[in-house]
Amino acid sequence: MSQFPDERAAELKELFFETALELLQSLNEETLKLEKQPGDLESVRTIRRIVHTLKGDSAAVGYHELSELAHELEDALALEGGGAPTALAEVAFAAADTFSAMLSSYRDQTKLPSAEPVRKLIRKMARDPKTRKPRIPKTKAASVPEVNWTEYEKLAMQAALQQGKKVYHITAQIDPNCAMPIAAQQLILKALAENGEVLGTRPEPGSAKNAMQFQLLVASDQTAEDLTVKCRIPTVISQVRIECIGTPAPKPAQKEMAGEVGTEHLSSQSPVAQNEEKAEAKIVAEPVHETEPALTPQPPDREATAKPIPALPENVLRVDAERIDIVLNLVGELIIGKSMLQQAINEFAARYPKEAMRGRFADAMAFQSRVLNDLQRSVMKVRMVPVEQLFRRFPRMVRDVAKQCGKQVDLVLNGQDTALDKSLLDAIAEPLTHLVRNAVGHGIESDEERARSGKPAVGTIRLQAYHQGNQVIVEISDDGRGIDAQKVRTRAIERGLLKREQASQLGEADILDLIFRPGFSTADEITEISGRGVGLDVVQSVLHRLKGTVHVVSHSGQGSTFRLQLPLTLAIIKALLFRVEERLYAIPLNAVAEIARAHESDIHRVDNCEVLQLRDRVLPVARLGRPPEDRLEGRSERVFVLVIATGERKLGLLVNAIEGEEELVIKALDEQTAETDLVSGASILGNGHVVLILNLAAIVERFANSRPDTAGGPGMGLLLSHSERARFAQSAVGGRP
Amino acid sequence: MTPPIRVLVVDDSALMRKLIPQILQSDGSIQVVGTAMDGHFGLKKIEEVKPQVVTLDLDMPGMGGLDMLKEIMLRHPVPVIVVSSHSTQGASVTLQALSMGAFDFVAKPIDVSANMPEIARELISKIKAAAQSRRVAIAAPIEARKQSQKPILETKTQATRIVAIGISTGGPQALQYLLPQLPKNFPGTIVIVQHMPEGFTEMFSRRLEEICAITVKEAQSGDLLLAGRALICPGNRHIKVKRLPMGDVAVLNDEPRVNGHRPSVDVLFKSVAEEFGEKSIAMLMTGMGEDGAQGLGVVKAAGGMTIAQSEESCVVFGMPKAAIERGYAVRVIPLDALSNTLQAQCMHDRKVGSKTESEDRGRSAGVGKN
Repeated sequence: MSQFPDERAAELKELFFETALELLQSLNEETLKLEKQPGDLESVRTIRRIVHTLKGDSAAVGYHELSELAHELEDALALEGGGAPTALAEVAFAAADTFSAMLSSYRDQTKLPSAEPVRKLIRKMARDPKTRKPRIPKTKAASVPEVNWTEYEKLAMQAALQQGKKVYHITAQIDPNCAMPIAAQQLILKALAENGEVLGTRPEPGSAKNAMQFQLLVASDQTAEDLTVKCRIPTVISQVRIECIGTPAPKPAQKEMAGEVGTEHLSSQSPVAQNEEKAEAKIVAEPVHETEPALTPQPPDREATAKPIPALPENVLRVDAERIDIVLNLVGELIIGKSMLQQAINEFAARYPKEAMRGRFADAMAFQSRVLNDLQRSVMKVRMVPVEQLFRRFPRMVRDVAKQCGKQVDLVLNGQDTALDKSLLDAIAEPLTHLVRNAVGHGIESDEERARSGKPAVGTIRLQAYHQGNQVIVEISDDGRGIDAQKVRTRAIERGLLKREQASQLGEADILDLIFRPGFSTADEITEISGRGVGLDVVQSVLHRLKGTVHVVSHSGQGSTFRLQLPLTLAIIKALLFRVEERLYAIPLNAVAEIARAHESDIHRVDNCEVLQLRDRVLPVARLGRPPEDRLEGRSERVFVLVIATGERKLGLLVNAIEGEEELVIKALDEQTAETDLVSGASILGNGHVVLILNLAAIVERFANSRPDTAGGPGMGLLLSHSERARFAQSAVGGRP
Repeated sequence: MTPPIRVLVVDDSALMRKLIPQILQSDGSIQVVGTAMDGHFGLKKIEEVKPQVVTLDLDMPGMGGLDMLKEIMLRHPVPVIVVSSHSTQGASVTLQALSMGAFDFVAKPIDVSANMPEIARELISKIKAAAQSRRVAIAAPIEARKQSQKPILETKTQATRIVAIGISTGGPQALQYLLPQLPKNFPGTIVIVQHMPEGFTEMFSRRLEEICAITVKEAQSGDLLLAGRALICPGNRHIKVKRLPMGDVAVLNDEPRVNGHRPSVDVLFKSVAEEFGEKSIAMLMTGMGEDGAQGLGVVKAAGGMTIAQSEESCVVFGMPKAAIERGYAVRVIPLDALSNTLQAQCMHDRKVGSKTESEDRGRSAGVGKN
């Protein structure tokens, strides 16, 4: 039982890293709170508790450097009686950074970062007279350490004084070149024993300490000068200091001999033992009072103010995300299995309409579907995590960036408990970070500018998340200067992203969307704050990859809002199945606003663009397939129009037939297979058929971008060649060509 | 086979909630039936899973350890082992917990992979002891009373007798009950070995000093054994006594553990027997294990008085039992009678001393060793 197996230790360390990161996160959050409300004792206490836990945990796994640093910080925080200064927040931030750096080096087994700068800060804070009450320092780093002679030694001192002897405190500095300090101690001990009585020594006799400083308490009849001479042992003792701490006379003298040259000075300290006894009693009593204030304020205000640190709730199981994916995959397979069964039953029912078993099959099927639904939902829920996990990193980041830019920015978080698929959450971390940095760096104006436009000095950035139908919306808004559509237009024309004549046709929303186009961002904008070489185009491409969209709404002078729209999950969707030229496709059902029927004859061309009059609106339509070959004949052909809405825009997709809705388990297509971004995945139906799932965001994008200059484009159809389709199909089934 | 001991782990550190069960489960007779991250959860869990022992971290958000302990003692008394941190503050809170009725405490594990055997041994044995312990009705902890200036100890007054006390689990409570009952002119000198880690003993001494009429101090080498004074051996050191020409002193050393303990009661008892012979009184009080039993025998053999705390007043009847079974305890006395016994022993001795030893040596404890 006694050995701790290696794999256990490794597991423990893994857990440590995980919990430590969470602790650091809480530390940052709590420190932010403290920074906003300096002097909030509850925050100080919470910070101390977090540091305390970190200390204990790191000690448990054997990371002593981290533990010690945490310990120092904890102690410094414990001193904090009243009036917590802002310096504390600074120190806590610095410490959090160092902790985090230490964690990474422990994990990567690289050299530990120096903790000295933080240590200095901590000590400075602890020393600062404003931050703490004067307190007797525990340890003094003086060159001559204070010696606490024992009671017995003091007793001996007193006895010697009564016998008419003088008592000296001799400090001998042993020569640094002396190879055997212990032997040197013996030498000097012998020399002094011949000239008086050695009452005590430090280090104590028999101690193995190789101290280079040897202190003795000697009672002798001789004068300090005489003793100094006796102590001079060349090459062994480099320096001797003699202090007379007691003479029998009522007016005793205190002598001090520094180095080779002795000086004498007087002191009125008389019955030494008695005095020191009193002094000691005082010292013992005082620390007790010192510690009390730190403890006593707790009980009364505890219940009122104590708030639990956001931590993992109890009974939490940490599971590798991969394992959940496996389960989810199996659930996906089950759903396919269910469709197969359903079809078999349907066929069976058609073939034997009178068979009594049909009812039982149907019942069993219904039951199975229900359970399967629940199962699927439960597994999906397992993958869902609150966006808070992502949001919580921003307060600290906003603070740092704002500080760097010399701005004052408040971050308001909303809807942190909105749940989102873990893989999505991870994927949007980078783009969201970019957007938040942008908002602080470029969105919020400088103090002067804000003052000029009559805004409050402190800028506000709002980060919120909420569910909308089957989607999750994440919004970042600032109350800054906003994006000037006119400038964007000019820039886009400069960059060649837009022809001048097209520019005038575009509405404001379209113009603003240009900022997501590759090549829009300019090199001179790349700053440490938000540049990083990544432009908004990257944000958009990530969002597209996730079957999401990003849009911006901006009012010049009032701020901008970036809106990220994401599917709840990547794995299973409710889809609308339809056919284009006999081929089966699917799009997420939630994107479909309306399904309308139309005749080819209802479709008109306006400006190189096909449109459909739907009720009282003109809807641009995109043709997925080829237009009817024979224009005249085709005029009467009936088509379906799927009205989809992405962001502000609406678009109609022309398809030939609707197949119904179904739950699809998305199988990713690797990049080799799918050359186009128009398809986001594939799925297998119950009957074994393969269906391609279209990436609506990309289609809309393609449509919008290609519209102006596609000569005769509208008729061509966006979808793919036969050979391409064949390739998709094969890979989705699992086989490789 | 007996059913396993059901343990609830209460700690706000996720790491500890994982680690402590891991340590405990290395022993088959212990079963961790639940964990909780703060006092509220902890209390709920206690009702739910009915543990036999609770391990408790004192520093937690929400309902902290002390508050929870108070509730536990009030509502569903179950032995609590405090898992304590190493800071000074940790020590003081831990002692507070002990005086509120916590069964015992262990230090938070350090460097588990290296120190697993010791950590596991200590924690497991304490949990087992806790599971077997009976509830001992202890008088409410005495509130710190404002001591009017304590008299400066008269270094000239030698103690009549030396009282060596060995005590472990349940000790803080028992000592906080016993020592305040001794008057400030208590004629004997007391040396105590309480099994407790470094740092805690200092805080413990201070607390006792606050509530006692006699002076209490964590021992330093060279401290004089004075009448009306109790010296407590600091954690992680051994204490011996020594008779020197100008007075009797305590001497600390760093020799290896004895019986798995440092300080060890046996070391103190043997040294007392050797130096003070029949002038010694050795008292073995509540605690698990056998440390001190042998030493009690040595004191008895040297002619000293030996006392064991009686079973019904012990939180853990381990060390006294070991001594009683070997026949080393001259007297077996319940906790509430110990104070009177000690006073009688020390007074009695003074009388005897002045009668039988007319040559004015009764004032010196040194007479024992002629």
